[in-house]
This record gives sequence, structure tokens and C-alpha cells, in this order.
Amino acid sequence: MPKALQITLLVPGILLFVLLFGMFPVVLQTDHFEGALSFNWSGGFSTIAEYMKGMWSGQSFQYLSGKTEHSFWDQIGSSFSVTFFYITVGGLIGATLGVLLGVYFGISRIKWLKRILELTAVMPDFVIVLLLQFLIVFIATETGYVIFDVASFSTDDPAIALPLISTIIIPANYMIRNVALHMSNTLTEDYINFAKARGLSKRYIIFYHALPNVLPFVKADLHKFMGILFGNLFIFEYLFNLGGVTMFVFSNAFAFDGYQYSLVVNGILTLLLLYAIVYSLLRLVIFGAEKVIIR
Amino acid sequence: MNKSLLAGLLIIVLMIAASLFGQYFAPHSLDEHQGVTYVVDGNGDGDLTVPPIAPNKQYPLGTDKEGYDMLAKLLAGSKYTIFVSLVIAISRLLLGGTIGLFLGYISKAKPARTEKLPIWNILNGIPIFIIVWMIMIGITMNPAASPLYMTTILAVILTLVGTPTVASTMKEKTMILREKQFILSAKSIGSGHFTIIRRHIFPHLLESFLILFVQEIVLSLSLFGQLAIFNIFVGGTTQYFDPVQYVSRTNEWSGLIGQARDYLFIYQWVLFIPLVVYIVFILGFHLISIGLEQTYKQKFSKVSHI
Repeated sequence: MPKALQITLLVPGILLFVLLFGMFPVVLQTDHFEGALSFNWSGGFSTIAEYMKGMWSGQSFQYLSGKTEHSFWDQIGSSFSVTFFYITVGGLIGATLGVLLGVYFGISRIKWLKRILELTAVMPDFVIVLLLQFLIVFIATETGYVIFDVASFSTDDPAIALPLISTIIIPANYMIRNVALHMSNTLTEDYINFAKARGLSKRYIIFYHALPNVLPFVKADLHKFMGILFGNLFIFEYLFNLGGVTMFVFSNAFAFDGYQYSLVVNGILTLLLLYAIVYSLLRLVIFGAEKVIIR
Repeated sequence: MNKSLLAGLLIIVLMIAASLFGQYFAPHSLDEHQGVTYVVDGNGDGDLTVPPIAPNKQYPLGTDKEGYDMLAKLLAGSKYTIFVSLVIAISRLLLGGTIGLFLGYISKAKPARTEKLPIWNILNGIPIFIIVWMIMIGITMNPAASPLYMTTILAVILTLVGTPTVASTMKEKTMILREKQFILSAKSIGSGHFTIIRRHIFPHLLESFLILFVQEIVLSLSLFGQLAIFNIFVGGTTQYFDPVQYVSRTNEWSGLIGQARDYLFIYQWVLFIPLVVYIVFILGFHLISIGLEQTYKQKFSKVSHI
């Protein structure tokens, strides 16, 4: 498919996907007596039609929180900025740290450090969050000193340090492993040996010969990196009780009169918007890094 | 056989054995129930016991809030955690591996050096977890179906959502293998497609299959956990109202973690013990995967110049 066509198809395609995907809870039903699964396709499609109609009247941007009706536009702003803050900081610091440490791990021969890193990488995000919280609680009970807030108790007093640490370390971990792998692969190439033979310094070889050839892999893997960042976002916001977009969608998806299709669709589209923003930001950073390193 | 591989295999075999036969040796069964007791001894001192009971001699891993033995619960849940994750990983590999092998073999495209990612990847913004959440949330609360039926539904869904990544990995590896010299020689002496796949490509993919298998198990385990944090448990959720409480029907390990999340500050063993068991289980597979990678690395890898 030519690229222009792909881009033109992109927006309606993604919209369609989100619309279809949001109707799952409507379509998939279980019988309350026998427990058999049944599919209610017509119900699903009529929900989409209703959403489309509601777009013009503005009804699709109203939602229920409990029994109170709110406007989506009024409420989304604060959630958006919360999520935006954590995800930008986490993404930028995580990616930078990941690349730098990845380079270091690619050349270092310290085995145990690598082992620890791999171990934390294989642990699911929620385990890391729970263990971090445990650590804080443990230190607090032993010494009486609370280092960080374990979670936010109100919106005025949000927990910052612990969520940020988690949003940074988990995606960074993936980046480190990836960069380290490609770094050590690149260092086996013949041109590295040639550069060495010419008497170039180790640091010069690493940053000007090896790293430019690793960056394309970083770029190609950025979507995976973002996927991890976003996948974990749900867990972070929930476990740390942050009032971000995902919490906004999850806590209100089922309100007083049942499943709120329009809210879920709007929320997911907001998330995709965030994804696009943060992704372009990261691409910009890599672009800058390439300009600095290569020329 | 190296040390990590051996240690990992040992952990996993022990856990599988415990899950199959542990119930015959456990001090308490799942339906034994420790209520509130008040015992007065010879000196007239009263002793009040209220569950949850901290780990002691009688209950090596303590009890939960209702007074059920944690060890018994873990043993009951282990069957689901262990075997469902194995089944999901196997079916993902069978399905994804076959599709990937086939697509890679017939594909005309040359393997790209850096993966050319289609623009559709923005859909990464919707993680697999959300897809599964969307499908399950409507049917998982107080289902009428049996736990086994609900587990099967979840397993099928997790298999389907995980298959594409396996297929694309396998497709790439096949495309690289297909360009090798020995395939060309096999073709030149007149081997058919089936023979080439069976005798030349598949044996070379075996190691990837093995490593991927272990990774898929870890992936499905972490999905179990993420879902459990949002009260979707393997085998269905029992929802109590007033106060609202979510309880795993199968005592599956990540379910035990998910339902005990509020015990972070007090009665911590209720949360900590299933968490530790879950971590050790993942650790076992992680060790196996490190061990396998080392074994294959020693065979094939080149040496760094720096």
C-alpha cells in the first residue's frame, strides 16, 4: 500500500477500530441462568449508531458518574494533564536513561548487574509497584519515617515520587535490554575492529561508530516501548490512585444505568491522542540525538 | 546443562508436583474453617483467636480473613495458574507458529534490516490488557457458568490476542532462514516444500520456539495479574455487595493477589504470601529462559571487539 493511502486511511481506520472495540461489553452477554455465551450484534451496532447521532446533539459527550450527569469536555482536562505529566516525564526520562544505560550494559562485563536488570524486566508491572509500596510501608513501620506517599489520598495531595519511579523504570528497563543487545551485536561487526585498528578511542568508537547504528533499532522499537508505557499506565493509575484518563474511563465505564459506550470511546480516543503526542515527542528527541551524534 | 537451566527446571517441577499431589500432604483442606475461638487455660487466662491468623505452627502460611488456610488456597489455585498458563502458551505457539512459518515461507518480501513498522502501530496505544478487559468485564462478575468454563473462555481470548505477535516473530525468523544456502541446496536437489519446512526450517526454529514458549508463559501470567488487579479473575469473580468485595472463585494465585490488595498495611501475609509464590513461579521460568539462551549463545554467537 502506498504511504499516502495508508495515512489517509489511518484516521477513519483507527476510529472504526475503536468504535467496534468499544462495543464488546454490549455484544458479549452471558445468560444469567445457564451461563452460556451469546452475541448481541444488533445491540452493538445500534450503540454505534446512537453514538454517531449523539455526536451532533452533544449527547455523546455527556456521561453519568454514579447518578450525576457530567460533560466530558469539562472533566477530561484535569485527567488529561495528570496522565500527560506522568507519561511525558516517564517516556522522556525512561528513553534517555534506557539508551545511556543500554550502551553501558552493552559494553560492561559486570554480570550480576545484568542479571538483576533482567530479573526486574521479567516481573510484571503490578508486582514491581506492589513491592515498591511494600518497601515504603516496611521502612515506615521499622523507622517511623515515610519516604514517599504510597498512593494519592486526594487530588490536592498527589503521590508523585513513587508513580514517577515506576513509570520510568519499567519502560526504561525494556529500552536498556534492547539497546544493550543491539549494542553488543553491533560491536561484533568488522568496522568496529577497523576503527580500533586505526587507534580511535573506545569512547569515540562507541558513540560515533556503534551508537548511530543502534539508533535505528531504537526508533523501530519505539512503538513497543510506548506500548509498554501505555500498558502499564492503567496499573499505575489504579494502584497509585492517580486521577488520570484511564482511571476516569475505568471508574465510570459502568455507571448507574449500565455500560457507557460513549465515555469509553471518548476516553480511548483521548489515550490515542496522548500516544500520538508522546510518540512524536520521542521521535523528535531521537532526531536531535542523531543530529548531534552523527554530524 | 547449566546452573540456571537446572535451577529453573527444579523450581517448576517442584511446583507442578506440589500442585498435583500437595493436597494429600497439606495440614488443612480447603473447606476447613477457623472461626473465632476463645480458650481459657488452667491459669484462667483467656486466649482469643480471630482470623486472619498470622503464620504459626498450626497454619504455616496463616489464614485469610475468613479463616481459611492460605496453604490450602494456594494449592487449590495452583492448578489454574500453572496449567492454564501452560495451555495458553502452547496454543499460542501452535497457532502463531504455524501461521508465521507458513507466511514467512510463502512471503515474497525480503527481510528488512530494521523492522519496517506499519503506521497502524498507533494501536499499540491500546494494550492487550484493555482488549481482554473489554471482552471479559461484561461476563466475569458472578457468572452462572462453572469456573472451568469461564477459565476456558479466558484462555481462548488470551490465546487469540497473543497469537499475532508470535506469528510475526516466527514469520521474520522463517524469512531469514529461507534465504540461507542450505535451503537453496535442498531446493536444487529437488526437495519439496513440505520436506524443506520439516527437515530444514523447523529444526532451526526449534530453539526460538522453546525460548518463546517460556516467554509466553511469563506474559500470560502477567496478564492474569493485571486483570486480577482490576478484579477480573481466572475462572470468574464472585462479587459481594455491602461492603463491595471481589473474590476469586478458583483461588488462582494472581486472583489471590488481586483480592488481597488492600492488605498492604495490615495482615500483610495475606497479600505477601501469594505474591511471593507467584514471583517464584515466574522466576523459575525466567531461569529456564536464561539457561536456554546461554546454551544456544555458546553455540552460535560472535565475540565483541570492545
